[in-house]
Amino acid sequence: MTVQLRKINGVSIIDCTGEVDLYSSTELREVLLKEVRSNPLSVLVNMSEVSYIDSSGIATLVEGLQLSRQTKTRFGLFGLRSNARSVLELARLNKVFHLFPNEQEALEKISSTEPFAGL
Amino acid sequence: MKIAISSEPKLLHILRGVIRWQARELGFSEADTDCLALAIDEAASNVIRHTYGGRPGIMLSLEIAVYADRLEFILEDSGPKVKAESIRPRSFDDVRPGGLGTLFIQTYTDTSCYDASYGEGNRLKLVKFLPGKAPERK
Repeated sequence: MTVQLRKINGVSIIDCTGEVDLYSSTELREVLLKEVRSNPLSVLVNMSEVSYIDSSGIATLVEGLQLSRQTKTRFGLFGLRSNARSVLELARLNKVFHLFPNEQEALEKISSTEPFAGL
Repeated sequence: MKIAISSEPKLLHILRGVIRWQARELGFSEADTDCLALAIDEAASNVIRHTYGGRPGIMLSLEIAVYADRLEFILEDSGPKVKAESIRPRSFDDVRPGGLGTLFIQTYTDTSCYDASYGEGNRLKLVKFLPGKAPERK
């Protein structure tokens, strides 16, 4: 798995690639929480190249969401593949996150979302 | 087929790879293959995280047995006995991080059975019926 950070117009985008499991979720957690703590206006996680995510990966995303409430940062995910979307739905977390189909829509809409939606 | 790995999270992908291969060989769809790999991966992750307390270098094994109607996965470890009643899925209405692994295991397999009579360590048997072979519910 690889995790890379880039910024577009003040929005932090975390590009996550590969399989997010008990091993690799620690790296995602480190990058994600550090970025949310830096207090940008918005943080988006690009899930389009995530081929697998387990409960530890989902817990990491929830942790990022919870921290974003404290920092008043808007937080969202985009590009989820069907398997990742299925596990989010099973966990009843699909209504908790701001989910966008792609990066363009995420960038257009994240600024108009409630920053504290979710848990 | 039996695979043994050391209790290191970075090795979990090996189990997933074998499970996916076996599931595809037996005609499972890609979606079901992913779900099955997730379920078994969660069970193995639980052993590493909870039973072994994150300590590396302890072996756990996964046996995969193919029958005419089902796949059986037997996960064995040498850790302290798990209390069977502690293996519960999270409530569907409970929204929080963590606690999801057991929910995934129970959702994506057809039966799960913790063998309390197993000698030293723990044995968990997970069963998945082959495509089109699930018994009809009465």
